[in-house]
Amino acid sequence: MSETEVFMQQVIYGLSNGMIIALVALGYTMVYGIIELINFAHGDVFTLGGFLALTIVGALGASAVIDPATLGEGSHWLLLFALVIASGLFCGGLNVLIDTIAYKPLRRAPKLTQLVAAIGVSFILVNIALFWGGAPMEVFGGGNAAAASKDFPELLEGSNLLGEDSNVVLRLEDIAIFAITIPLMIGLTLFVKKTRLGRGMRATAQNPVAAQLMGIDTNRVIAATFMIGGFLGGAASVMWSLYNNTISFQMGFRAGMDAFTAAVLGGIGSLPGAMIGGVLIGLIRAMSDQYIETRWTNVVVFGVLILILVFRPSGLMGLKQREKV
Amino acid sequence: MLQFVRLSAVLGSFALAASAFAADSVKIVSSLPRTGSANAQTTSMVNGIKMAIAEVGGKIGDFEIAYEDWDDASPQRGNWDPAVEAQNADKAKADQTVVAYIGTYNSGAAKISMPKLNEAGIVMVSPANTAPNLTKEGFGEKNEPAVYRPSGKINYFRVVPTDDVQGAVAADFAKELGAKKVFVLNDREVYGKGVAGVFEKRAKEIGLEVVGTDGLDGKASNYKSLVTKMKQVGAEVVYFGGTTQTNAGQLAKDIVTAGLKAKLIVPDGCYEKAFIEAAGEKALEGRAYITFGGVDPKLLEGKGKEFYEGYKKTYSAEPEGYAVYGYEAAKVVIAAMQRIHAAGGKITRASVLEEVGKTKDFAGALGTWSFDANGDTTNRTMSVNTVKNGDFSTVKVVN
Amino acid sequence: MASKRFSFFSKGQLVVLALLAATPLLDVVAPSLQFSGPMRTVIVFAILALGLNIVVGWTGLLNLGIAAFMAIGAYAFGILTSEIYPFQVGFWWGIVLSGAIGAFAGWLLGAPTLRLRGDYLAIVTLGFGEIVQDGLKNLPTITKGTEGINPLPAPTILDSSLKVVEVSGETPVRWFFIYLALLALIVFLCRNLEFSRLGRQWFAVREDELAARCMAIEPDKAKLKAFAAGAALAAISGALYASHLSSTGEPSNYDFQISILALCIVIVGGIGSITGVLVGAIVMVGLNNVLLPIATQSLQRAGFASTGNVLASPDNYKYLFFGLALVLMMHFRPDGLVHTRKAVRK
Repeated sequence: MSETEVFMQQVIYGLSNGMIIALVALGYTMVYGIIELINFAHGDVFTLGGFLALTIVGALGASAVIDPATLGEGSHWLLLFALVIASGLFCGGLNVLIDTIAYKPLRRAPKLTQLVAAIGVSFILVNIALFWGGAPMEVFGGGNAAAASKDFPELLEGSNLLGEDSNVVLRLEDIAIFAITIPLMIGLTLFVKKTRLGRGMRATAQNPVAAQLMGIDTNRVIAATFMIGGFLGGAASVMWSLYNNTISFQMGFRAGMDAFTAAVLGGIGSLPGAMIGGVLIGLIRAMSDQYIETRWTNVVVFGVLILILVFRPSGLMGLKQREKV
Repeated sequence: MLQFVRLSAVLGSFALAASAFAADSVKIVSSLPRTGSANAQTTSMVNGIKMAIAEVGGKIGDFEIAYEDWDDASPQRGNWDPAVEAQNADKAKADQTVVAYIGTYNSGAAKISMPKLNEAGIVMVSPANTAPNLTKEGFGEKNEPAVYRPSGKINYFRVVPTDDVQGAVAADFAKELGAKKVFVLNDREVYGKGVAGVFEKRAKEIGLEVVGTDGLDGKASNYKSLVTKMKQVGAEVVYFGGTTQTNAGQLAKDIVTAGLKAKLIVPDGCYEKAFIEAAGEKALEGRAYITFGGVDPKLLEGKGKEFYEGYKKTYSAEPEGYAVYGYEAAKVVIAAMQRIHAAGGKITRASVLEEVGKTKDFAGALGTWSFDANGDTTNRTMSVNTVKNGDFSTVKVVN
Repeated sequence: MASKRFSFFSKGQLVVLALLAATPLLDVVAPSLQFSGPMRTVIVFAILALGLNIVVGWTGLLNLGIAAFMAIGAYAFGILTSEIYPFQVGFWWGIVLSGAIGAFAGWLLGAPTLRLRGDYLAIVTLGFGEIVQDGLKNLPTITKGTEGINPLPAPTILDSSLKVVEVSGETPVRWFFIYLALLALIVFLCRNLEFSRLGRQWFAVREDELAARCMAIEPDKAKLKAFAAGAALAAISGALYASHLSSTGEPSNYDFQISILALCIVIVGGIGSITGVLVGAIVMVGLNNVLLPIATQSLQRAGFASTGNVLASPDNYKYLFFGLALVLMMHFRPDGLVHTRKAVRK
């Protein structure tokens, strides 16, 4: 492989991984923007989305999914689309449920109390994922080894789009990530900018009390935020499963950490910030794996993060906070 | 104050009486990570231990053998917890009925409980630790392994061959595959780093070119970028010192998807169904080789075959490599107890420790083997396996 | 000990310390449970959480990487005292120097980053935690990498003939009381810090930075001191942890989960309250290291044992109960188990 090929390859991987991180990061940043809560459970909601997707695939029959003959041309894309919707709705609903049960009663409690409740929910969800992994289905290994990682079947044909002889590998999955993530991001931006509910979100984020006085139903706005954040997390979990072909009950931990880092790097509360932050972290990881050493990658990622924040204390896209006078 | 002394004296004598009363029942405990990602592996080990005890009806003569399955992980850590492992060792020390301690799973955990149990003279049999420096000089620091044996006696035994054997077998096999350039990875944990180090050393000795070494993060989402780097340097064999838990399955997949046409060799931390399930057959068939200390249970004759049939019947599942180790560890302790009982002796900590140390030409599920002067198994049988039709299939057996 | 006008400890602190001092009695009642082992762990995490409390509770800075300083303390103690390194300064100097090194590390991280606000600072500390862990793993020539450093010395005391002897694992109660005495000393120091000039500066910065500045307090300096003090206590807890285990363990033993545990201790116990933090440590470490293991083992003895089915093994419910306990405690005691005079609301 020539140096250029290597670099191009790493850009592809960095972008693909980064897009997935960005989708998860949006969930963090939206919730934070509205109620100033670092939703620790978000990564684990994401995990459960992956488990739902695998359950659906298993119910349809994993072999049927791999074999295009049984489902017909183009059906893979349809299935992928259906999985995104199903996991998205499931995670969105779950997120709203969690908020209603665990966070809502604590809305007036100190901020860190909510944070610890979120940590508690995260542990509960990990346990649910562990149980789910023991489901007596073939795709879960027949329920024998609940804690083991699960293979997620390839939904899209796996050949190299640039030709089998090409050194640079570009697969349908990479395209799919872009084809699904970018419209979701555009849709989200338009929703927040153009719709009434979106305006309510922005208003609540800026000043919840004033928003309420202006007749905005903040509870509805908060629920919608959790719904949308969860939906994006669910969609991300399908992307993740498609791209890595593995899910495990602890996968939300690293994904959540990367995404939270991305959200802060971009400027927490800022939607474009989370997107840019996610992509940037994906790219830094890829470049560090290639040009430094994989064992130093975490150090490089967090080192860059600290450096950026030292010079831009509110993240890349965050608004500079005004001092209270 | 005087009253307090009296009270504690009374309570103390109660406790003493209780333990004296229970003297004709002895306890075997295991300390393995039961919470978190190692659960899949330890479950099959515990099954193996239970089966070994059930085979003798939970009894030797009039002695009842109780078994307790202790967890050395905690929910908060999600992995082995050093404080809990230390607690388990202390608990075993304090409970006079505990005569044998089966564990640990992680070599790092062994380093914490070994000196404690050594002082108490409790026999410790590990079904999984493979770090050579726990028992042999010249592999770790100069104070190892003496630091794990404060009493000067050996109380730590293991039924698994150590990594110095395994890593070397893997390197030799890489050469047999016709590879010239190897890339050595580890998961930056005690086990993985140790075995990868041995592989690297041996590979250089036999004239393979080590084109790169690196350590990966077992929790990362994928390794496509790393695989690209290995592709650039032209690796023909990738050796990964790591386990299913530290994402060996994902690495196997990414080698395929990122288009690296190299073989993958992994150690016995991946010799389990869970590895095939995590990686998927497609990523492994004809591409991956797994070394294992012992041979495939299916191929065993005699005792091994009995184990294989018995396990399948009891748990309606194929036994894992790990299950055999758990079974063998419990079996070797029970056999020692049977010998003591046959000779008319009392089953105590001291007698069990002594008798386990004398284990010689033991006909077990892993073949016929003994414990050597360091407490290691003399079984040096290593098999190299690959994956065919969704199951392990032995390529070659090395003695 | 308590006189009318002056006291070393508040009533609550005294009660908790006395309760801790009584735990060796449990060893007499139930020797098989071995309480003095877990109790040393409780003390270690209580000290860690007291350190975090200075930063989070008193100064209002969210720190998600306190485990990094614990790791630094443990490894400093390991390198300074282990027989495989040339220093071998002994237990007590090891503790003191680890604390100093921890404080320096806290200052080093704090100096460039303390002007960050709230959650930006949180992510920096989280990142620092990851950097330290990976650094320890990747620099084996200094830290022995993943192998851990062992053996490490136990506390030394003067015996009846005034000779320096090491307490051993055979006298766990003596060992426990040395740790308890250290905890009492640290509680005493914290209590004095709380009502000192510096303590009041921290509260002022927490409540309103701008107003504090108007009162001629330099918030950056006050924050830096809080960071260094918190890091020093965390490092001491790390050193005590390593001595307790006679090993530093692996670098991954000091990961993000430990920082989270420390945060949970502070919040569950009652943010800002020393008594609260002590109670929090007993509850959280007790839950994690004592209650859940005993509960699952009793269930196993009662015949609920694993047969391969994930739902049938009591061990598999530990995450669930741990999480549930956190959520419920927050719901019923949103200000923590021990109420402070004034909850921190930001």
